[in-house]
Amino acid sequence: MIEFRTQGFNPYATKYSPFFDSRLAVSAGANFGLVGNGRLYILNLTANGIQVEKYFETQDCLFDTAWSEQHENQILTAGGDGSIKLFDIGVGEFPVAGWQEHGREVFSVHWGLVDKSRFLSNSWDGTVKIWAPERKESLMTLPVHSCVYSAQFSPHHPDIVTCVSRDSHLRVYDLRTKASAQNHMTLAIPIHAPPKVPAPGYGQGSVGPTECLTHDWNKYRDSVLATAGVDSVIRTFDLRSPAGPVNLLTGHEYAVRKVSWSPHLSDVLLSASYDMSCRVWTDGSNVEKGGNGAGFGREIGRMDAHTEFAMGVDWCLFGAEGWCTTCAWDERVLVWDVREFMRPT
Amino acid sequence: MAAAADRLSQVAAHLKANGKARLLEKHPDDVVVTTALRTAITKGGKGGFKDTAGADLLYGAFKNLIERSGIDPSLVEDIAVGNVLAPGGGATEFRAAALAAGFSEGTAVKALNRQCSSGLQACVDIANAIKAGMIEVGIGAGVESMSTQYGPQAVTEFSELLENHKKAAECKVPMGVLSEQMAKDRHISREDQDKFAVDSYAKAKAAQKQGLFDEEIAPLTVKWTDPKTDEEKEITVSMDDGVREVTTESIAKIRPAFAKDGTIHAGNASQISDGAAAVLLMKRSTAERLGQKILGKYVAASVVGVPPLLMGIGPWKAIPVALEKAGITKDDVDIYEINEAFASQCLWCANELAIPQEKINPKGGAIAFGHPLGCTGARQVSTLLYELRRRGQKLGVTSMCVGTGMGMAAVWVSE
Repeated sequence: MIEFRTQGFNPYATKYSPFFDSRLAVSAGANFGLVGNGRLYILNLTANGIQVEKYFETQDCLFDTAWSEQHENQILTAGGDGSIKLFDIGVGEFPVAGWQEHGREVFSVHWGLVDKSRFLSNSWDGTVKIWAPERKESLMTLPVHSCVYSAQFSPHHPDIVTCVSRDSHLRVYDLRTKASAQNHMTLAIPIHAPPKVPAPGYGQGSVGPTECLTHDWNKYRDSVLATAGVDSVIRTFDLRSPAGPVNLLTGHEYAVRKVSWSPHLSDVLLSASYDMSCRVWTDGSNVEKGGNGAGFGREIGRMDAHTEFAMGVDWCLFGAEGWCTTCAWDERVLVWDVREFMRPT
Repeated sequence: MAAAADRLSQVAAHLKANGKARLLEKHPDDVVVTTALRTAITKGGKGGFKDTAGADLLYGAFKNLIERSGIDPSLVEDIAVGNVLAPGGGATEFRAAALAAGFSEGTAVKALNRQCSSGLQACVDIANAIKAGMIEVGIGAGVESMSTQYGPQAVTEFSELLENHKKAAECKVPMGVLSEQMAKDRHISREDQDKFAVDSYAKAKAAQKQGLFDEEIAPLTVKWTDPKTDEEKEITVSMDDGVREVTTESIAKIRPAFAKDGTIHAGNASQISDGAAAVLLMKRSTAERLGQKILGKYVAASVVGVPPLLMGIGPWKAIPVALEKAGITKDDVDIYEINEAFASQCLWCANELAIPQEKINPKGGAIAFGHPLGCTGARQVSTLLYELRRRGQKLGVTSMCVGTGMGMAAVWVSE
């Protein structure tokens, strides 16, 4: 495990570069992001541990960051003041572009993985916006009418966008459809709906809506997503039958702040929680390991090195299948191999 | 700085626990039960309390409550008493009973009537008054002397207007008759009802033998006339005298009470009984300040309406509403105290809600020891909280069907 300290700043997100296996970005805020400056760290993994290549200062906390999929030196930030900024590592200390349309905190940004000419942002102002880096105004605004905590492009299709929000719904947008009354929304799935197959130990009843804080698309199965939030349960959904979750993964003791599917293994998830732990899960879909999908997901590993709320997780796209990075309010960024933290089976 | 405060409250909202974990948290503004007790419940017309007035039973419960809790009676600001049969709701004699038991004239008393849920409604009313800040310490109670007050005089004659309104007139159909019809319509067989009833007797008998009611029952010394000799004696009543040995064979012989081909009879319906119960409620902060020991806490309650002729399904509708308000699922609950008005309706509700048998009325219910109407709701609180504590379990629900078509349920946590 390698460690980096973001002294004076509490990290909110950590992301591996999609271009280099040794480059990381971490977005952070002073005073736990409540008030004060933000900072974007560009870090390099070297033989001598983690070294800062550069950092950018901003006037408000940076709740999230996303690497450009087009340009290896460019990176987006999501600002507490509603701003989105594009920084270039090779260009000075100021952003090369900026956008100010959101009325409240921008909570996440995501770059298109199929059509790499677009990115999106979502905000506590209840909207998701689609942008092109070369244009000054947003291309499209998707009204959600509820504080949006996370939005993503599908990794499988250029025009499918999803988001999760305070109102406990997973919404799916198809940008090819007419705007009309639905504003491109094609599905709104109640996350708190009872599972289709009763999960052992969880019961069949719904405990009612709770804020959903994070979600992620499975990288291999083009209809599968995971969500998680304040009720501390990670759920998986299959958009082919959206009536209720497929799996309920229980174990975290407090709200789950971030989930991320493995880029290497189609059934494996990593999560970070306010309970300070980062946990590894299988959704039970790996037939070779005796899984058959619904109701068989479980925790397979956990890492407890963080000493404050764990906020961000990301997998390394390169090399061996277990390397990841996590960050927490303990002012630390950790780079570690999940294979060292697996439960004995 | 407003933005910082907004962000802080947003993050704080993420940390709210959910479901069961949230209920188990302890907060100073929780409404807690520090003492819950009841008198024994005795058979109407022949049991230990057959010659005791309802208000005297209540007096006995109050006196014991003051003694057992050690509360300074002048700190109790309001008392709500559930009762169904007393003329005028019992308002006058209940206030008198409170004064006689040692409460000061500063303690207010009200009588209320929501039929069989009156005792629960009394507890909920007091809990709500504490939550709202109207009072700091209160008592929810219930009492019924069916020996002395059960009969046709307890219901006012319906006017022509009500008699000619179909739904309204249905409120008058006797509960035995409508439950018989419901059992028939919903295919609840006599065998199933009898089995449920035999189980209730067996559980109550076993609990009695193990002394599981000892903590909740406050013994009362009363005057009692021996029907054989007409001699008046003083007796101390400390056991539910309706509990007896019942077998599948013995119960099968009892004739149906409401229809020749019926399934409901004296053995699988609740008994006519006398009894009183009282629950002392206050905020946790108050309990800690006064050094009161906390038995459990009140979480949430629900009240619902159902068709008058299907009054027995009340718990089926009320329980999910209370669970939702409490933010838990039915599987989180360790014990359900569902009043056994009739085996048929209690069984039907449990089956429809898919509640496992072993979670329902683990010490038996009204079939075995009786259903003094206004008392039952308050009685269930002590039955539930002592059993949860004994088993080391946490979450419980009390519920009952209500005549004229209603249901109530409440969620409680043992501590």
